[in-house]
Amino acid sequence: MDCRAFRENHLAFVDDTLSGIELVGMQMHLNECDGCARQDVSVRRSLMLFRNLPAVELSPDFSVRLQQRLHEAKMADQVALQSGRTRKFAAAVGLTSVVMLGYIGVSLRRVDYPQDITLPPVVATAVAPGGVMSSPAPEMVASVPAGLPIWTAALFAEQAPVHFASIDLTTTAR
Amino acid sequence: MSSIARRQAVQPQGASVREQLKAMDDSGVVTAFLGGEERAFSELVERYQTRLLNFIYRTIGDREKAEDLVQEVFIRVYRHLHRFDRSKKFSTWAYTIASNLAKNELRNRSRNPLVLFQTVQKNWQDDDRPLQFEDTNSRPDDMYRKRHLREIVEESVAKLPEHHRNVFILRELEGKSYEEIAEITDCNLGTVKSRLNRARNSFAEIVAPYME
Repeated sequence: MDCRAFRENHLAFVDDTLSGIELVGMQMHLNECDGCARQDVSVRRSLMLFRNLPAVELSPDFSVRLQQRLHEAKMADQVALQSGRTRKFAAAVGLTSVVMLGYIGVSLRRVDYPQDITLPPVVATAVAPGGVMSSPAPEMVASVPAGLPIWTAALFAEQAPVHFASIDLTTTAR
Repeated sequence: MSSIARRQAVQPQGASVREQLKAMDDSGVVTAFLGGEERAFSELVERYQTRLLNFIYRTIGDREKAEDLVQEVFIRVYRHLHRFDRSKKFSTWAYTIASNLAKNELRNRSRNPLVLFQTVQKNWQDDDRPLQFEDTNSRPDDMYRKRHLREIVEESVAKLPEHHRNVFILRELEGKSYEEIAEITDCNLGTVKSRLNRARNSFAEIVAPYME
């Protein structure tokens, strides 16, 4: 075994994880090479020093502080959970509102509004000069006592459109 | 019905709950905690608090900050234990959190020199405190020598590059396997071995002059 192979296997050699043959090879090299033997001793001694460092102890109030911090963390988690729920609820309400408004908007667009209102033409007849109502004809006068009201109704019906159209026209003119 | 039975199986009853928890392995304690047994968390804290403190302290070199970070580890464990993959080892997960927090702390320090200065100042104040670790029955010159040696070792570890130091501490102080270290540091096995080998040689090289 050469120095390079020794260095490559040194980690496993120190950790005692080499196979029997490799271990023998390493030990033989140690007996032959002073440089590698010195390095091996140096590493082992330094590791021994490090492994024997006194353990650091916890300060007396460590547990109290930890309990306090855990309590704070729990409270913070609860607050976060609650605010998260509130946020979710607000988001759900917002989303529902948006959906409803959208639905209403779409529904309104579907309604067919008449673009132009077309009405039948208004026909106005001018009132005959000489008064709104003409004097009853002699036939009508004669028919009343005779019990023939049909003639009167027929005459009034004939004159009625003229009369109403006249009123409308007068109102519009004002 | 089956959920109640399961709950009873994972949730120890009676006055000896703590003893039962102590007898369980990590996986059992985690299962008990997730089953609603709050005392199981205290058991996890008890098992890991000192180990994590030493790991973080050796990595960042500031005891007070190390304690804060250990607490942070436990808070994260408490919050996210339900997400922990129980097919893996709890200790590996806890050390991964601790390793990441320590790494972040070192990164923040390198970005903020003021923090570094405060840390140095804190260490000076530490020197004025009474000795805590030396055997008080030792002779004063022995105590001085031991303390001096401890400081040298700690300073030598601090001189290692961060990624070497992390692997070195996990292996030499915490006794983690290469595979666990690979998982904790998110590196492949070859990288872990290479870093560890370099860290050992560098550390020996730094310490050597003081040992002669």
